[in-house]
Amino acid sequence: MDIGLIAIGAGLAVGLTGLGAGLAEKDVGAAAVGAITEDVSLFGKAMVLMVLPETIVIFGLVVAILAAFVLPGMI
Amino acid sequence: MSLPESMSRVVIVGGKNRLEETVNALFKVGAIHLIDYINDSDEGLSIGAPLPFSSKASERLLKIRAATKDLGIDAAKAEFEPFSLDDIKARISSGEVETVEKTVFDAIEERNRIAQRITESELKAQSLEDLSKLPLKLEDYSGYESLTVIVGTVKDDCSEQLAQVPNAEFFISAPDKKSVPVVAVFVANSDKDKASAVLSEHGFTEMAVPAGTGAPADMLASVKQEIEEAKAALEAVNVRIADLAEKHGSFLVASDEELSDEVSRGEVPLRIATTEYSYVIDAWVPTAKTSQVEKGLKDILGEGVYMEVQETRSRKMHDEEAAEPRFKKTPTKWKNGKYAKRYEYPVSLVSVPKYQELDPSLLVGIFFPLFFGFMVGDLGYAIPFIVLGAYGIKVAKSKDFQAIATVLFFGGIWAAIFGTFFFGEMLGMHFVGPGDELQHTWESLLGVTLPEWFTGAMIGGHGISKIGEEYIGFLLKLTVYIGIVHILISYFVGLYNATIQHGFKDAMHHKGGWIFSTVGIVLLCYAITQVMFSGNPLEGMLLYLLIAGVVCIVIGVVLGWPAEGAQAVLELPGIVGNILSYTRLAAIGMSKAGMALAFNYIALIMLAGIGSTGGSSIVGIIFGALVFLIGHLMIWVLAILSAGLHGLRLQYVESMNKFFDGGGVEYAPLKTRFKHIIKTAKMETEV
Repeated sequence: MDIGLIAIGAGLAVGLTGLGAGLAEKDVGAAAVGAITEDVSLFGKAMVLMVLPETIVIFGLVVAILAAFVLPGMI
Repeated sequence: MSLPESMSRVVIVGGKNRLEETVNALFKVGAIHLIDYINDSDEGLSIGAPLPFSSKASERLLKIRAATKDLGIDAAKAEFEPFSLDDIKARISSGEVETVEKTVFDAIEERNRIAQRITESELKAQSLEDLSKLPLKLEDYSGYESLTVIVGTVKDDCSEQLAQVPNAEFFISAPDKKSVPVVAVFVANSDKDKASAVLSEHGFTEMAVPAGTGAPADMLASVKQEIEEAKAALEAVNVRIADLAEKHGSFLVASDEELSDEVSRGEVPLRIATTEYSYVIDAWVPTAKTSQVEKGLKDILGEGVYMEVQETRSRKMHDEEAAEPRFKKTPTKWKNGKYAKRYEYPVSLVSVPKYQELDPSLLVGIFFPLFFGFMVGDLGYAIPFIVLGAYGIKVAKSKDFQAIATVLFFGGIWAAIFGTFFFGEMLGMHFVGPGDELQHTWESLLGVTLPEWFTGAMIGGHGISKIGEEYIGFLLKLTVYIGIVHILISYFVGLYNATIQHGFKDAMHHKGGWIFSTVGIVLLCYAITQVMFSGNPLEGMLLYLLIAGVVCIVIGVVLGWPAEGAQAVLELPGIVGNILSYTRLAAIGMSKAGMALAFNYIALIMLAGIGSTGGSSIVGIIFGALVFLIGHLMIWVLAILSAGLHGLRLQYVESMNKFFDGGGVEYAPLKTRFKHIIKTAKMETEV
């Protein structure tokens, strides 16, 4: 029972953060592609902005890994 | 890590009557970054006039460019035979540009004419085809005084409505599936409007009746014949144009280079200041080369030229701010060794470093391939990366592909090292171990025992499993430590930059505070995680670490406050974010190992029946091999994207953001840049 809940929690952590990052990157990505079409030299800056929101998923992943591997030892 | 090359500002003065010679000398010396003269900045000086040959050269350049475009020649792609400079100059001055342009222009003109004729004939053929559905001859459609003839197509059958129109006779073709009905209405001039009204209700489109006599079908045959002939002629012209491209391609590309060079020489006076009898040139020259440049100019021009070093720009921002506007920006001349040079391009994608800061190319060159290799971490994927990278470095021409090939090659080498000794893995399977139904190893699969010297070289004798439960905590911690080191290095580079720009005291406010805060956060988080996850009591060493962490953070905030204000506090969680961001190094390796595990499992069941009760069959072997190949190819391609982009992102966002300002101007000396022209020995006295 508890293991099941932990698994669901870990899944939610990755899934929801992935969704959040996706929503954020959607807008940034569209704008970045537009900017790069106008001026290719903006690629570097556009990429930096583009990947900023994706840190959220990494946080989600860390939480999920901790949940999946550390929590079962604690119950 | 090195600062861009030191630059000195010089002024070169001489007699205007020798301006052309001077310009040629500047190009030969090849180390002079011109500072554009802005009109009205000094009394008595004005912008010079272009050199006399430049208008003719631009005119010819225009013709060359037009011809090159018409012939579809791409100078960057194709190979062209090289020309000697004297040869190309002689051919240009003998008027060959004009002759070639005329020939090309004539051929293109003819092609356009034929293409136009084909379009017209095809339209005519279309109308004739439509008209051949009606039982009328071509002469029937014209030659009436009191009748108006309306011919065209309608969307649907409208015979009933047309029959209502007084004083009208009409012909309409039966509608079929492929085409709409064709209609011809002969109506008394007085009732023309009524017929038009009916037709327009049915989506009428008017059609021009070709002049001529006889049945439309007969004429159609001759028009089709005409089209065929015109197409043959077009083909012939295209062949002629291709021949022209072949014949004149090299000449066009070479003369484009030569004329561009002439034009840029000719326009130099537009960028410098002149008086009635003299010229004044302001320029940046690498400090190390000033005496060579002076000697080079004196050698060519004798005593007719005077050069003086005005200043050698320091790295202090104060000096830049105090300078006259047009002397503010000092050009950046990259100063890197052979290896770091390869990473100038990825850095310049963000920005060119400014004169007063360390160029991050070397740092990127060290960590980018390292991170890439760590994320791939598999011998089986590393080998194709190394091969592809080496091939790319050898053949790739464009900067983008050179940069990608470089990362693949050096990243591949790191991946092989990590894959063999750290992870002990090839194609998602470990070398050593007993293996089980889900996760095979090369030893269990091949039924061999690998030699001791090989397995002994791996960590723990078997390597670290990326998805093994017992190693995940270790991998996450390891990547966090890598992150702490990388981030601290970046802050120290930032501290160095700020010190040379503003002095040590300011640097401590700007960057020193962050170093303290980062160390503090690390200590604090270490103590907290030990207490929360490992269940250690908060006492002794842990307590001291916690206190030390808090003290460091307070010092960091106090130090940073004058420069950063509230940011010094608000950005504290950002440090945690930055450090945790490095766990992607483990996470990406993990995701790839997970995919490889799945593909291996499926493929091996199909291939040999391993792990299932059934034996292997021919179909199983074929499909198993396909799954294995496609699966691993997919992981491999994804590795380029994910490991490449994430590796780059860690450089750009987590590292370079800490110290890199950018916004520099690249050093671009006056210089002849020939690719297809062979320079003759005597023109080179470049210093």
